[in-house]
Amino acid sequence: MAVNAVHLESDAFLVCMNHALSTEKEEVMGLCIGEVDTDRIAHIHSVIILRRSDKRKDRVEISPEQLLAEMTGRPMRVVGWYHSHPHITVWPSHVDVRTQAMYQMMDQGFVGLIFSCFIEDKNTKTGRVLYTCFQSVQAQKGSEYERIEIPIHVVPHETIGKVCLESAVELPKILCQEEQDAYRRIHSLAHLDPITKIHNGSVFTKNLCSQMSAISGPLLQWLEDKVEQNKQNIAELQLEKERLTLELTDLD
Amino acid sequence: MAASVSGYTFSSLCYHSANSNSDHEGFLLGEVRQEETFSISDSQISNTEFLQVLEIHNHEPCSQLFSFYDYAGKVNEENLKRILKERRKNVIGWYRFRRNTQQQMSFREQIIHKQLTHILGVPDLVFLLFSFISTANNSTHALEYVLFRPNRKYNQRVSLTIPNLGNTSQQEYKVSSVPNTSWNYAKVIKEQGAEFFDKDGVMKDIRTIFQVYNALQDKVQAVCGEVEHSERLKETFQEEVNKLKKQIALRKSEKEDERRLQEMTAVEGRQVPEEHKNTCPAYNSRVVCPGNAAEEYSLENQDTSETPPPYSEVIPLDSTAVSTETSTAYLPRPQAVGSSSYAPPSLGVAKYTGNGDGSSTDSSQGTPGSGVVGQQAEEEEEEEEEEGGEEEGEEEEDEEDSSEYENLANEPSESSDSEFSQLAEGRPASLRPDGDARNSQASQI
Repeated sequence: MAVNAVHLESDAFLVCMNHALSTEKEEVMGLCIGEVDTDRIAHIHSVIILRRSDKRKDRVEISPEQLLAEMTGRPMRVVGWYHSHPHITVWPSHVDVRTQAMYQMMDQGFVGLIFSCFIEDKNTKTGRVLYTCFQSVQAQKGSEYERIEIPIHVVPHETIGKVCLESAVELPKILCQEEQDAYRRIHSLAHLDPITKIHNGSVFTKNLCSQMSAISGPLLQWLEDKVEQNKQNIAELQLEKERLTLELTDLD
Repeated sequence: MAASVSGYTFSSLCYHSANSNSDHEGFLLGEVRQEETFSISDSQISNTEFLQVLEIHNHEPCSQLFSFYDYAGKVNEENLKRILKERRKNVIGWYRFRRNTQQQMSFREQIIHKQLTHILGVPDLVFLLFSFISTANNSTHALEYVLFRPNRKYNQRVSLTIPNLGNTSQQEYKVSSVPNTSWNYAKVIKEQGAEFFDKDGVMKDIRTIFQVYNALQDKVQAVCGEVEHSERLKETFQEEVNKLKKQIALRKSEKEDERRLQEMTAVEGRQVPEEHKNTCPAYNSRVVCPGNAAEEYSLENQDTSETPPPYSEVIPLDSTAVSTETSTAYLPRPQAVGSSSYAPPSLGVAKYTGNGDGSSTDSSQGTPGSGVVGQQAEEEEEEEEEEGGEEEGEEEEDEEDSSEYENLANEPSESSDSEFSQLAEGRPASLRPDGDARNSQASQI
């Protein structure tokens, strides 16, 4: 087995959740950055949010692998991919399994993560968010691929890393970029009458407004709340530090 | 009633829960509004309904369990005031995260809820319950959540929605105009429509909204920078506090050893056999032994003839030997989740297991400490036994019988003493007293 288990740092998990919960109408995807240790455990320290239209990661300005490598002093690379299954079961589809198999051809240790969300049991009003980790193997019969389960654990990370924060705030940028590209494509069509142009311009405006109210706004609110919360925590920690220092000097 | 929480707040709840190796709780801040909904039907001209809308804006996590209530479930108003401060008026509910439990309020939670309702003066205080379960091989995990309105007699459960982008339909762009040969039409829309465009032929609205977007994104980046700075500061302080705690623990144990040594020498003076002298240094080395101090201690208790030190003194030493890397520092000690050679096969939630038979085995135990790592050797064993089927591919979670939940939190079956003791160790820290420096309180359901 190329990979024994996956350890997903909780701040990277946070970014995955943010991303998966950003839309219930489409599957979102991204890449997992980290390293595989000598025990063949894949450690995921951060994720890159990918654009839906352009799955190449070099479209992203920052290079999380380099940043992480600088910070930890160890080489970091893409160790897997994740995507969301809104309203759908968490298990990978045949296409997912095949895609995963293709990735594994380049890298045996490549892992796939799936986040299933926006699930609700109408009877018990229970909502659910699930996540799973898998790889692909050749099925015994024929050339089809099968899923194999890989243990995954979310490892506590008391603070949110810089790389994760930067990945999180990429989302609105990516969404806006996608919208601009879509608009540019139709804007270049010459034979549209003014009414249609106004309509299209309004669609762009409307979509950007949706993004701001659904993503940028809540993101900003969460960030502001975090600053406040951290101020509190830091004040409490300072008090505790003083108390402990006193206690230590008393002991000596 | 309709309730909503933003994806970012929800993710934050998941994040804080994942970081705790015991139960986790906190308060929900937000607002409740009445919204009028109009509907027109054939029978009446207008139908107004009042809908209560609950919006969760933010959450206030509690750093420890029992921070505002005691073991008897009595709420301490002073502590509550201290925790909430001025945010008290925004409290609309509270939440709890538990692993491997039923989707029901526990007795203590109900008592606390009643008191909070009264103290905070929120008649319709809500309670959000998170429950976490995993498959036996830990490859799949589920976080389930239910929002309760416990103060109501009927319809106690409320659907919680997470507003999102939904359909940012780029299909709404029109790629062609509706064919029209009318000259008048073309003339009017060209003349009047010119208002919308600037001299470059770009719609003015687009430039304006883009400016709004840019300004917003700049703010996002700026506050993100603030968050980054405060997170690093928090990290530094946390490290210093941890270091101080270790130093204090070390000092305390050194003093205790000195005291004991003095006692021994005093006793020795009254002619005591050689063995006792030897056990003393051996005991010291056992105490500082990395990783297994607690376990070894409990086993060897019978062997030593001197008074054992308090359990809490043994544990902090543990952390000195553990790697200083933040990620591994929070891993439970290997023995806490069962020995590596033993992989209890009966543990697990049948509905998520890739067993291939699709049967529900009504497994009555949950998986140990699923949110936190610690079972590497166990995983390897599980991996070897893994059948690797994809039969579960079409399984629909929604069809599950809610009665299956009852089985999850039943008392573990006493199949064998050894299995049960393994299970007791394997339970998440929330189910047994844990002298861990991080988690100094126990949580009982």
